[in-house]
Amino acid sequence: MASNIKMVEAPEGHTGEGFFATSMDKLIGMARANSLWPLPFATSCCGIEFMATMGAHYDIARFGAERPSFSPRQADVLLVAGTIAKKMAPVLKQVYLQMAEPRWVIAIGACASSGGIFDTYSVLQGIDRVIPVDVYVPGCPPRPEQILEGLMQVQELAKNESLRRRNQPEYQALLESYNIE
Amino acid sequence: MLTHMESTTYLPSDYLPVVIQLGLALAFIVGTMIVTHMIGPNRKSEKKDEPFESGIPVQGDARTPISIKYFLIAIVFVLFDVEVIFLYPWAVNFKSLGMTGFIEMILFMGLLLAGFYYIIRKGVLKWE
Amino acid sequence: MLTNQEVAEELIRQFGEDVYDFEDPFGLLTLSTTREQLIPMLQYLKDHKAYQINFLTDLTGIHYPDDPGREFCVVYHAHSLVHNFRIRIKVFLSEADLHIPSATVLYACANWMERETYDFFGIIFDGHPNLVRILNIDEMDYFPMRKEYPLEDQTREDKIDALFGR
Repeated sequence: MASNIKMVEAPEGHTGEGFFATSMDKLIGMARANSLWPLPFATSCCGIEFMATMGAHYDIARFGAERPSFSPRQADVLLVAGTIAKKMAPVLKQVYLQMAEPRWVIAIGACASSGGIFDTYSVLQGIDRVIPVDVYVPGCPPRPEQILEGLMQVQELAKNESLRRRNQPEYQALLESYNIE
Repeated sequence: MLTHMESTTYLPSDYLPVVIQLGLALAFIVGTMIVTHMIGPNRKSEKKDEPFESGIPVQGDARTPISIKYFLIAIVFVLFDVEVIFLYPWAVNFKSLGMTGFIEMILFMGLLLAGFYYIIRKGVLKWE
Repeated sequence: MLTNQEVAEELIRQFGEDVYDFEDPFGLLTLSTTREQLIPMLQYLKDHKAYQINFLTDLTGIHYPDDPGREFCVVYHAHSLVHNFRIRIKVFLSEADLHIPSATVLYACANWMERETYDFFGIIFDGHPNLVRILNIDEMDYFPMRKEYPLEDQTREDKIDALFGR
């Protein structure tokens, strides 16, 4: 019986009789990319779409995001789904600050990305005003397929991230621009 | 028969593979823990080390004294909870246990209710 | 069954010149009163043996920037749960003097509603136990529902004319 189970492809490297050699970067990148634990920060309708993404039909677990983490300590990727009011901004920032490195952020939907239709005094005009964002998912709200695509983009980022990226001065400068120690 | 008996007696040196296995297992665990702490990026700040309270500022201390009444109520609840566990199988086998079972259960319930009467008179269930 | 007419006449008997501008849009008895008579009127309606208008449904503000001397209005909606009768009481204030007595002495539910009205319009409720912002961020330095302030967030960059070819 033919199996249609798709396995993760091995990274580039040297194979031979009984051995496989590759760089540490690629190995760790592969491991990180396929075990991204999401931390959902859902505040409105995009959160409902994210629930569908987590459900059996779209099944975010296929991408290694098996366990939605409701504590930032073990989470790898913060999914901000929904409108973030200005009053919520410090809460979001605190949750981001308490995540363990390495951490990625996906802004799901128009509101999280840019404020969306809520061009008003009380709504944060995009979460990139308070925390650095890696992937923006457009849509109002986006389809679960789009959210999966966003997660796959983060997988690509994780796969290709250098082990030293988070110690580089560029990254430090990025965090400093957000007043993050 | 004798040879078979002899083959089951081990010398201390025969346990060497087990010791090696144990050592390897420990070395793997300790080594992985050390290596992951070395290679992974980490970041420490005062805000990060705060307890996680869903992002809102921490208020007060979690380790405050709690009134003894809560524990008494909890224990009384457990007592009656366990009593129901005994009641169910007794009720299922009511016919086959017959008169003896009935008397035993009356005794059991009588003791329990005597205790219940005692704690009510002691004022355990009085909240204020 | 209470009628608007009956309650209005009773209020005129009791408060005379201090109630005016009677209306009944959509059958809802609406009237205006002065700052001084507001709390006595709410008290009178609450304690009235027959009416028992003892539930404060809503409290909010309105800004009329083009009406000098009457720029701000505070609106009270009260409800008689016994007769299912509603009444709307308005108090007009001038921008120079935005003080009004707090209704928290009569209704505990007025506490948060007055904080909200203060938050959005900057109306100061004298005697309120804790008159601070409730919905907006504490750092906000203006009252956003006043019409001189734009509704839009002024820092937004994706709605500039250049992006729409204007």
